[in-house]
Amino acid sequence: MAKITEKTRNEVREIVFAFFAEECEADKSLINDNTNIIKDLDGDSLMFLELIEIFKKKYNLDIELKTIGKYAIKHPVETIGQLIEMQMLIIEHENRLLELDK
Amino acid sequence: MAENDIALVFPAFISDYRDDPSREIPAFRAVFQVFLDKAASFIDKDLLSFDPKSNPMLHDELRNQYLTYIYGCSCARILLSSGIKPGISAGYSMGIYASLFTAGSITFETGLLFIRNAYDAIRKTLPPGQYGMGGVIGLSEKDIMEIVLKHDLNLAIVNRNSDYSFILAGNRVHVNVFLLKAIEEGALHAKSLGVTIPYHTNLLSGAAKDFSRTVFTADVRAPEIPVISVLNQDMICDADRARNEVVNNIHTTFNWLATQLQMHHAGIHTFTECGPSQALRKNSKFISGSGKFVNWDVLVKK
Repeated sequence: MAKITEKTRNEVREIVFAFFAEECEADKSLINDNTNIIKDLDGDSLMFLELIEIFKKKYNLDIELKTIGKYAIKHPVETIGQLIEMQMLIIEHENRLLELDK
Repeated sequence: MAENDIALVFPAFISDYRDDPSREIPAFRAVFQVFLDKAASFIDKDLLSFDPKSNPMLHDELRNQYLTYIYGCSCARILLSSGIKPGISAGYSMGIYASLFTAGSITFETGLLFIRNAYDAIRKTLPPGQYGMGGVIGLSEKDIMEIVLKHDLNLAIVNRNSDYSFILAGNRVHVNVFLLKAIEEGALHAKSLGVTIPYHTNLLSGAAKDFSRTVFTADVRAPEIPVISVLNQDMICDADRARNEVVNNIHTTFNWLATQLQMHHAGIHTFTECGPSQALRKNSKFISGSGKFVNWDVLVKK
């Protein structure tokens, strides 16, 4: 289980903000934790998948996509803040993510 | 940008419209209108009522195909006129017609005729409302087949977009069951494609035979720009191969992932999507080392 440091948290935030600013051609300064990914940024599941792949590579994560999908059914992500929190959990728990619900 | 390292890729259907390209490329409006007028005169006069805002015709399967074709032909015409010399042309599914037109293998009118006659042949052989297609993201092929077998679903995987993005087709009810089960099994996204024809399945073998009568009597020439087969990734270099591709494309599975990788192996480094949506560009991000996508209007302005 990886320990989430302040450095990791800041890295994840920076990557998520920069990613959506570029992908959605949005002003990065206007994106915040409450920004709705679909309604405000016109984001989609392919972007979510791409972001997961970025974090899998960066942190060498051992996690199956379907584990994230199953977790997302019970914990749907709508905002940038929720997405960042989910990414933290993925980095921290990897394939044991679903055990959080037990 | 090196000569001939660009591939023009053509989508099958329009799912949405990006910003009006006429704002960046003023010539687009006139070129599109010329093709639209020709199509209205030749195949369907109701196309003249098309408007991307008020009457986009997204849910009309046949007119959506006509418009995707017209849009693709317009983009390609402007790209070629601006001096772009593509190394390869590729059509995603029913994007084959715009791909062949761009390569000089068929006329604009022949492409329209192919679209209509394929559609008519399919409608004659399959009852309406019983079939469909769905897309799933986030499951592997093995996961998908486990769902299909477990629930005894009459479905086939008809295309692999990437290692975690697939298209299925078959019985409409079974498509809907599959989409629900796929989400339960952890798919990040599972959605009906909103079409009622199970393209690329053997359910269309009879229609393909009927359609072949149109194709093998039409004027089809050898492509002047290499066209890649999405069915087997061979280069289509003569008229007979082009005809066979058009017919087999109706009822044979295809592999977009392998097609894009093969284009990259053939020296393509830049892809441009000749259509109003960005589905092919978005999908390409999951094909590692396959080159980059550039918007067609950006290429024109370079």
